[in-house]
Amino acid sequence: MRIPFFSMFMTSPFEGLQEHAEKVKECGWAFQQAIECHLANKCKTFEEFRQEVIHLETEADVIKRRIRGHLPKGTLMPVYNFLLFRYLREQDQVIDAVEDALDWISFRNEPGIPPELEKEFLILADVVIDPIEELSKMVAEARKYFRNYSEDQRVIIKNIIRTLRRQEHEADKAEDMVKQKVLNMNIDAVTVFHMVRLAEIIGSIADHAENAGDMMRAMVAR
Amino acid sequence: MTQPSIILILGYIFGFYMAWNIGANDVANSMASSVGAKAITIRQAIFLAGILNIVGAVFIGSHVTNTIRKGIVSTEIMADPHVALIGALSALLAAALWVSFATWKSLPVSTTHSIVGAMIGFGIMAGGFGVINWGKLLAVVLSWIISPFFSIVIAFIIFKIIVRLILSKKDNFIQALKLSPFFIGMTLFVVVLSFLFKTPFGKRMDLGPLAAVIIAVLLSVLLGFMATALIKRYVKDRALGAEAVFKRIQIGTACYVALAQGANDVANAIGPLAVIYFLVKTGGVGGKVPVPVFLLFFGGIGIACGIAMAGHRVMETMGEKITTLSNTRGFSVEFATATTVLVASKMGLPVSTTHAAVGGVLGVGLARGMEAVNFGIVFKIMVYWVLTVPTAALTSMIIFKILQFIF
Repeated sequence: MRIPFFSMFMTSPFEGLQEHAEKVKECGWAFQQAIECHLANKCKTFEEFRQEVIHLETEADVIKRRIRGHLPKGTLMPVYNFLLFRYLREQDQVIDAVEDALDWISFRNEPGIPPELEKEFLILADVVIDPIEELSKMVAEARKYFRNYSEDQRVIIKNIIRTLRRQEHEADKAEDMVKQKVLNMNIDAVTVFHMVRLAEIIGSIADHAENAGDMMRAMVAR
Repeated sequence: MTQPSIILILGYIFGFYMAWNIGANDVANSMASSVGAKAITIRQAIFLAGILNIVGAVFIGSHVTNTIRKGIVSTEIMADPHVALIGALSALLAAALWVSFATWKSLPVSTTHSIVGAMIGFGIMAGGFGVINWGKLLAVVLSWIISPFFSIVIAFIIFKIIVRLILSKKDNFIQALKLSPFFIGMTLFVVVLSFLFKTPFGKRMDLGPLAAVIIAVLLSVLLGFMATALIKRYVKDRALGAEAVFKRIQIGTACYVALAQGANDVANAIGPLAVIYFLVKTGGVGGKVPVPVFLLFFGGIGIACGIAMAGHRVMETMGEKITTLSNTRGFSVEFATATTVLVASKMGLPVSTTHAAVGGVLGVGLARGMEAVNFGIVFKIMVYWVLTVPTAALTSMIIFKILQFIF
């Protein structure tokens, strides 16, 4: 405090945001492997991947709390702090949804996903991975934008947001396909419920990524 | 040894100590942006700050020294040389003590405010509340509010201009090169002007305001283009864009701040010392006390010693803390700081470099230039602004009584 000049400089919340986005990305990879493993026969590593996701989620939570806890009132940032918090919440919900999906699978490990639905679930899992990866790219580009405020940079971010929206739409379609197929299969009600709910949870990953994109759009608004 | 010479020696010691403190504490403010933005290394910063503080102190520094001594406290109390002598010493001692205490307790106080408070304390003891020129004091207090504000506004505008005209452009490297004569010229304009108005050399030339402005404009345009030519020759790395250009310009602004700081802050250390010196040498104080150049040099050396001895540690912390400052931001902060300080110094107002620097950062922060700046800290700092003056005054009063008892 002796040198007021120093005390003004704080750790940038964007650094945390970036770190958080990287965790989300790592989670996405673990999620993909977990799903593929679960769909493959005699998978033994599903639980390992699930534990990894749980671990990553805890780490991301720490980052989230650190960001929230270190932004005192009167912090000057390139964006309003409520927007930053809203963005962070959406980004965090992506990771929560990933964890939820794996948890939901683990609640009823046997018989698991019926073979007839494997293809649909693989497609669904694939389409939600892309938006997850897009997030960390978006944060990095946003930081660049806040450094130079150039219109070109803003366009790059807007394009990423547009991509997120499109990917969410794809995910919706894939989710609907699963649901439609499940509801018309001749299987027990518990499996139907388990599968429909699973499709919804996996689908919500893309929803939250899209919401994060919308928040980012508000952050880079002029 | 006679009593006055003992007091003079003590004056030298405390004056030097005060200057040392200014160097040790305030160098961070002048060099932080440049070191933080990696425009210069810590070693270069210490060297530059040391030399330029001395230059600033010796060549531009005399004006403010007068104001602190004479403006706030009426000269009536100086009529009795003995009282004046003890008073000046107690003010110096009180300010030095308060600054030391603040350093020990990590409080953000300004050396400028400490010495002003101490002078007020002595004035009250020597002549009662009547000798304080409240109007002048109010002007000084107002300048503490106005100077950070002024600095905020300058930094805000400069940064917005940089964003609008340079950073947001497609090839911002070229754009920065194209406009760099303007930014360099602007910096030089203020420096040249203050040299023309305030240095003995400038006074000897005896230029009118218009002639001075014309000369300053011509010089800064010329030097601005020369500096740009140099930058063009040495900066080849286009990948970094405008920041690479501003990295070089920032070396200049770092010097600018150090110069302004020397000019402004040397008075805090040697203002009272000049009074003591004059009293001892002539036996009384006239209407106007000239500040001998060697005393300014003495103060400058003291500041440089402080920088050399403690600067390194301070700046290392700084390098770790300030990581988000880019060169364009650093330039805006430094330009605002130095301009505020030089203009205030020209007007004879004792402003704090620290406050101007804080204002500069906030200005860039308000212009959405920083990823995170703590605005709230300003209110904490303000508490100490308000506290410093009465505390230093009180300390000065007590010391005055003790010294009066001894001598």
